[in-house]
Amino acid sequence: MADDSLAAHRRDPIKSSVGNVAAQRRRQNAATVGKERRESLVRAKRLCRVGAPGDGDVPFEENDMMTDEEGFLLEDQTSSAVKELKSAVAYQGKGAMQKRVNALRELRRLLSKSEFPPVEAALKAGAIPLLVQCLSFGSPDEQLLEAAWCLTNIAAGKPEETKALLPALPLLIAHLGEKSSLPVAEQCAWALGNVAGEGEELRKVLLSQGALPPLARMMLPNKGSTVRTAAWALSNLIKGPDPKAATELIKVDGVLDAILRHLRKSDEELATEVAWVVVYLSALSNFTTGVLVKSDALQPLVERLATSNSLQLLIPVLRSLGNLVAGDSHTTSTVLIPGHEITDGVVKVLVKCLKSDHRVLKKEASWVLSNIAAGSIEHKQLIYSSEAVPLLLHLLSTAPFDIRKEVAYVLGNLCVAPAAGEGKPNLIKEHLVSLVQRGCLSGFIDLVRSADIEAARLGLQFTELVLRGMPNGDGPKLVEQEDGIDAMERYQFHENEDLRNMANGLVDKYFGEDYGVNE
Amino acid sequence: MLIPLVNVVPSALTKDPNSHVKDTTAAWFLFSSQRLFSDRWKPMEVTQVLLNAQSIDGAVRKNAEESLKQFQEQNLPGFLLVLSGELVNEEKPVETRKLAGLILKNALDAKDQQRKVELVQRWLLLDGNAKSQIKAGLLKTLTSPVSDARSTASQVIAKVAGIELPHKQWPELIGSLLSNVHQLPAHAKQATLETLGYLCEEVSPDVIDQDQVNKILTAVVQGMSSSEVNIDVRLAATRALYNALGFAQANFSNDMERDYLMRVVCEATQSPDVRIRQAAFECLVSISSTYYEKLAPYIQDIFNITAKAVREDEEPVALQAVEFWSSICDEEIDILEEYGGDFTGDSNIPCFYFIKQAIPALVPMLLETLLKQEEDQDQDEGAWNIAMAGGTCLGLVARTVGDDIVPLVVPFIEENITKPDWRQREAATYAFGSILEGPSPEKLIPLVNVALTFMLTALTKDPNSHVKDTTAWTLGRIFEFLHGSAVDTPIITQANCQQIITVLLQSMKDTPNVAEKACGALYFLAQGYEEVGPSSPLTPFFQEIVQSLLTVTHREDARESRLRTAAYETLNEVVRCSTEETAPLVLQLVPVITMELHNTLEGQKLSSDEKEKQSELQGLLCGCLQVIIQKLGSSESTKYAFMQYADQIMGLFLKVFACRSATVHEEAMLAIGALAYATGPDFAKYMPEFYKYLEMGLQNFEEYQVCAVTVGVVGDICRALEEKIVPYCDGIMTQLLKNLSSNQLHRSVKPPMFSCFGDIALAVGEYFEKYLMWAMSALQSAAELSTHTAGDDELIEYINTLRNGILEAYSGIFQGFKNSPKTQLLIPYAPHILQFLDGIYMEKDMDDVVMKTAIGVLGDLADTLGSHAASLIQQSVSSKDFLNECLSSEDLMIKESAEWAKLAITRAISV
Repeated sequence: MADDSLAAHRRDPIKSSVGNVAAQRRRQNAATVGKERRESLVRAKRLCRVGAPGDGDVPFEENDMMTDEEGFLLEDQTSSAVKELKSAVAYQGKGAMQKRVNALRELRRLLSKSEFPPVEAALKAGAIPLLVQCLSFGSPDEQLLEAAWCLTNIAAGKPEETKALLPALPLLIAHLGEKSSLPVAEQCAWALGNVAGEGEELRKVLLSQGALPPLARMMLPNKGSTVRTAAWALSNLIKGPDPKAATELIKVDGVLDAILRHLRKSDEELATEVAWVVVYLSALSNFTTGVLVKSDALQPLVERLATSNSLQLLIPVLRSLGNLVAGDSHTTSTVLIPGHEITDGVVKVLVKCLKSDHRVLKKEASWVLSNIAAGSIEHKQLIYSSEAVPLLLHLLSTAPFDIRKEVAYVLGNLCVAPAAGEGKPNLIKEHLVSLVQRGCLSGFIDLVRSADIEAARLGLQFTELVLRGMPNGDGPKLVEQEDGIDAMERYQFHENEDLRNMANGLVDKYFGEDYGVNE
Repeated sequence: MLIPLVNVVPSALTKDPNSHVKDTTAAWFLFSSQRLFSDRWKPMEVTQVLLNAQSIDGAVRKNAEESLKQFQEQNLPGFLLVLSGELVNEEKPVETRKLAGLILKNALDAKDQQRKVELVQRWLLLDGNAKSQIKAGLLKTLTSPVSDARSTASQVIAKVAGIELPHKQWPELIGSLLSNVHQLPAHAKQATLETLGYLCEEVSPDVIDQDQVNKILTAVVQGMSSSEVNIDVRLAATRALYNALGFAQANFSNDMERDYLMRVVCEATQSPDVRIRQAAFECLVSISSTYYEKLAPYIQDIFNITAKAVREDEEPVALQAVEFWSSICDEEIDILEEYGGDFTGDSNIPCFYFIKQAIPALVPMLLETLLKQEEDQDQDEGAWNIAMAGGTCLGLVARTVGDDIVPLVVPFIEENITKPDWRQREAATYAFGSILEGPSPEKLIPLVNVALTFMLTALTKDPNSHVKDTTAWTLGRIFEFLHGSAVDTPIITQANCQQIITVLLQSMKDTPNVAEKACGALYFLAQGYEEVGPSSPLTPFFQEIVQSLLTVTHREDARESRLRTAAYETLNEVVRCSTEETAPLVLQLVPVITMELHNTLEGQKLSSDEKEKQSELQGLLCGCLQVIIQKLGSSESTKYAFMQYADQIMGLFLKVFACRSATVHEEAMLAIGALAYATGPDFAKYMPEFYKYLEMGLQNFEEYQVCAVTVGVVGDICRALEEKIVPYCDGIMTQLLKNLSSNQLHRSVKPPMFSCFGDIALAVGEYFEKYLMWAMSALQSAAELSTHTAGDDELIEYINTLRNGILEAYSGIFQGFKNSPKTQLLIPYAPHILQFLDGIYMEKDMDDVVMKTAIGVLGDLADTLGSHAASLIQQSVSSKDFLNECLSSEDLMIKESAEWAKLAITRAISV
């Protein structure tokens, strides 16, 4: 509160000294540099993945962590390596071949040096046309191998970078053939697997250029890294969503046998890649699913589940099993007949998965069980009397949401029999009473409270079973004890009409005016 | 080592005892540490004690201060009551009444935020009877014949009102001030109006209802009107209006009331009293920014009034009249900027193009002012006069109207630039320099091409130093706005480059003010070549430029006109913008600057003036080393060559910390950050010695810029040392957590401290486990606070910075833990983090930076937690929408993060 001037307001003169602004800017610049380094570090960490299926184990010679300063250098080195390659490709004189191979090797080394390969720099410098040239027929194996290797690592880059391989695809596919040496074919398969993994568009291109048959034939031998790489590339190639590739694959002579053989006998690594092929075969097309079921594919899957402890393997195998059960009703009705050895085997491995520590296994096993429990009365009795039920009850009260939902399907399916006509399903009173006595109701009421519509419906349906089916009219009391009324009343004004009607109907019917009058 | 951390969090609320000492507004004696025995305070003694407290005898003063302090501690209500009794008592000497009032005021308010909160609480809890008596005494003082007593009471009343009105206390205050304002004698009326003015300054508009606002405005306007004969009353009323304008939103929306208010203000600009005219123009300036959109009907009249004032009135009035137009330019530049940018902001205020319409008359008026320079204003750093204000306003006009200003100014330049009177040559040059920002390069470059040679000659040959000063500055403006990669036709060519540099280097030997401007010109000249490619046109001159700048720094008079600072900053820019060709020369600078820094540390027993000089120089040298290290560290080959000096330089930096100066610490810290980056993991060898200064920096709450810079350096060091930072993490984390829970630390430091959590986690990986609980809980509470924003743009901007800091911390923690067996420790925090992301997404007010970081965090969460995150992400309310929005963003950085996040989520869900 100065006395003389209210506003000692003075703006900065336009003619000012440079020192102040400059110092300010310099400090800001220092802060910006720090920020940029933080960001590039986070970016590098994000791209660094260890042990991820599919893209983790690229055969890098030196896998040393890249530091920032190397990053800046790396780009420079890469552009000059491409330049070097260019002059090597143009050079026709003595030692031309060695010169090309050396240039390729240098480029490959740079592209494999870090988890964050300088793909962009390589592309900018014009690497692709040169690499395509190096793939020309009649080139020495060493040159083909290095060129394909470079392309493999370029294909592992960002989407646009992968697309840059388009001109190279015909030659990569051509080198898959029997005339190629195994290492060259494998390297080409690897590059193509990366391309196929990028997306549907590129998969279509590869299929139209005939990549599938030679890859499929590479799967036929009994063992070796080539088989594994081919299986991995195929699993990327048939991913769909168009089922045509899956159908085409299973029709290739000998492939079905090879798949079953690998599932039965191969080492776990190979079996893992093959199992992923089976996952897509069984997920996309009823035809291929049917072929697999008829060829007794269930048996090796169950065996693998029973004997292996490798999570990497168990996941695709269990998923395949689930797909076969879910995709073809024939599986449940004619193969998994209660009393048959295979059926007991399936239930046993599923119980094993329910006991596992890994949530994916628990979730998928519950899903498979829910599909089996949707079968005949005998199937329901089989599961009901198995070791699975106590595990499921435990999971319903303790597991994460997504598992609980699957478990609820199993338990719900156990309590109902298929309805004769339309109408409400018939109750299997014995199962219902026993499961409710063992405390499953609170789990279902929890689902009623869920924001997930599907889970809520499941909860309400089971509540309806309890209200209707518990002997001596105990249902309403039990539901009330578990705060079920409150859970249902939340739907009074719910936006989903179906759920609202269902919940309101139940409350009106069982907890209407008369409720509690007799007490 | 976890134990100290446990203690940290609960201790958050303890206060730092040092923080009170700095409170300069509070009475200085309240905190002396000595205790004195004293008798119980007797009212009779107050006057004497207050007189003693102003004694020139230090011992007497100290005693008095002690007694006052003791009394205040023993009985606060009694103390304040006695003071108000002193203030109101007409028998007492004016100086004790004033001091009593001042102590009272200082018991109600303080600059320090926390101290202020304490004082407010203390007043609110004070005994009601005592407060009533004090307030009655204050109001009574307003009618005192002694002007100093009235004025002091006015200020105290406003402070009390500032505390009580927002709590709905003292509701009768405004009514009782206004009730009999008409019947009061002039001196009391003046005091009442002054009180209303202070009150409007203290209290926010929403606390006072419209009815009372109307009454205040009525009283103020009546006090201003010509019917009021007393000049002091009219002055007090005009000044009160200045503060009350913010309350008049409703009145300015009503045509009649607005007309009336504007008429009264305009009339006051014609008052015979210069103070009233100045205050009235200050009101107009305030109206121009607060009620810009209501000005159209008055703008012509205001132009006439301001033009007359600029030409004829005394300088303080003329300055405010120019300021009116500068302020209109500010408004229109803002509005036009919003037109040009996205239509997001609140651009509901249209542009009335007042300036565009006014320039035919406005520009000539401003050009006239340029001729009214003061002698030697170019050597006086604090100068401000009508010529400077006029040129500044001309620059704003050029930015507002662009090309249109050029034909209005060129004739003035042509006519005056060759005149024998230095004033005319200087004004012409100044006018040219002022309009270089705003008009298009196409319009300016032809002029510049003609002018350049002339100006280079003027800079060497003009007999007047002021003309040379402005010429050098204008050259700087030419290089700043019309030279560089963004401009198509280069104004600096092979043909004239040599001459330009020769002239600038020559001028660095001129008087300090001219040399300083020549440095500035060279600064922008170098900056223009920042992105010039592998070879710079400056390369042939590099050695000569550096040598000349170093020579300037050694001039005896280098401290005048901030010449030395300009020379070092120009050297920095020349180095920063240099290319690889000159890297060996930059390397040669290292031992030179190092030696200079070494020499500053030699001198012993300096006077305080010399000490200040020395630390200023140390700051500049550290800044210079920072730029050099950053430059040399950015390329592999030069970095190696530089490393031979690293030990020596680090040793000097550590010595620099022993000197107490905030700026020097800041600069040394920044330089160490650059050094850490250049040394990499080897920086570990400096840590044992450096660590204590790092900790000191983090503890420096008062000079919070030092704290902020240190936090940044912790990040640099984390990236350099990686896991080798582990031994220091306990200390750093403890300090960071302590800082975060403090409400004394400036808020701008908090976001970077969160980012720093991320830096540490990235460096140490799963070792971060021991801090996880504390860090997450600090992040969580900050996240809750920053989900919702309500407030002005400045607050929203701050909240976004805070969000960004929090998100960077999350990213760092997730990426740090990735692939470790301990990732499951993070699972419990995931739901809250997703909720935070949902929250800020739904709030719809995040900026692009936050958006990019946030979507990255979603990816990091999926990437690190894998399948554990899958169902949580699927269940989260808006993850999917958020991701889709980012995927379709125009901002490439956001898009890139989003694509990565999508990949990570797909992977997590498919497992």
